[in-house]
Amino acid sequence: MKKIIFAALLVILAYTAQAQDAPRLYTLPSPFERYTHYLATVRMSGAAPVGSFSNTYIDKSSVRNFSISLEWVLRNSPISIGGELGSSYFQKRLPRALYQSGEETLSAVQTRTFTQNPLQVFVNYHFLNKSSVVQPYAQLSGGISIADYSLYYGSLVEQKQKVAPAYGIGLGSKFLFRKDGSFGADVRVKYEGTSFKYGYIEKGTSSVNGSVGLFYRWW
Amino acid sequence: MFKITSLIILATFLGLSSCSKDPINDLSTEESLVYITNRDTQADYKKYKTFSVVDSVTIIENNRSGSALTELDKDVLTRIISNMKDLGYVQVTPSQKPDIGINVAWITNSQVNVTTMPSYWGGFGYGYGFGYPSYYQYYETSESYWHVSMVDFLAPNTVDKTYKVVWDAQIRGSGIGSRDFVSTMIDSIYAQSGYLKK
Repeated sequence: MKKIIFAALLVILAYTAQAQDAPRLYTLPSPFERYTHYLATVRMSGAAPVGSFSNTYIDKSSVRNFSISLEWVLRNSPISIGGELGSSYFQKRLPRALYQSGEETLSAVQTRTFTQNPLQVFVNYHFLNKSSVVQPYAQLSGGISIADYSLYYGSLVEQKQKVAPAYGIGLGSKFLFRKDGSFGADVRVKYEGTSFKYGYIEKGTSSVNGSVGLFYRWW
Repeated sequence: MFKITSLIILATFLGLSSCSKDPINDLSTEESLVYITNRDTQADYKKYKTFSVVDSVTIIENNRSGSALTELDKDVLTRIISNMKDLGYVQVTPSQKPDIGINVAWITNSQVNVTTMPSYWGGFGYGYGFGYPSYYQYYETSESYWHVSMVDFLAPNTVDKTYKVVWDAQIRGSGIGSRDFVSTMIDSIYAQSGYLKK
């Protein structure tokens, strides 16, 4: 329901922006090229665990991920810098099994979960200029991830929460709905990792995320 | 403008965050059950021939203890007896000096280590308590759970005045207070302890 309301809100905002757009009287470059401007993006993404995180803990893909980012698109430069706050959630259920620990035997249905809220700063390098309808970019990011490892044995939980360093590298593209417009779509594929280690996670977490987002830019 | 946009973004994020769900709310009652068993590595189960089971369940709640024998408790004790017999042990009365004794406790908000010997076994040595091997592990939570322990009456520790616990089991999860799951619960703790078989 929330998603529908949010989508409707975006559509209304888009129409409002269009209605206010006066006929172009001058042939000056777009303000988005002339000024350093802001750009906010909301993304929904699907994520697939990879590497040892997938081999030892959860190998099931997740679609319950989203993020918001705010960036400063610099004037006369292909670079933009910003911050992104995300949330991702992985879960896997294992049928009842016996787990041996020393002389202890435990029989339970395991529910493995891993939640993280990465807070990262990023740098985007844009391959085409800011008035282009299609704007491919490469991204590097680094920061922290507030991670929660909750391993359920039946209804008992073994939980570990900590803040771990996080990093990412991605390729994506922005697509403006209208030339020089404020709204657009964003598609990105990104590798994300953290150095979180606990329990079954021995070598940190890593995943490949594919996201689709909407952005709004202003100056 | 910048502040307002930031607030909208923050509100959106918080709204989306609230969609998270409880990862175990789809577990069935049976799936929520957890069986934990510990064994004494020094114990030779072959030497035990006879056993006896307490006549009621010890109730331990926040360091207070008593005993009870509800229909649920009777079901649990009966199922334990049938499992022990299936494993090849012979049931005797306490007066016939069993090789092992089985205690059953319902524990709430307490640790196992505070358990005292039920008075039922008084004839075996007054003032004796439980002697747990140090590597037994316990989960500390505030829920209720069943605790079944097997003590060795053949070799009491006369110095510490304890009977060694040679095997014990905990049953946790929702549904432990339901008679419908007694067979599943008790059969499971014995099924995962194959070394008890004669």
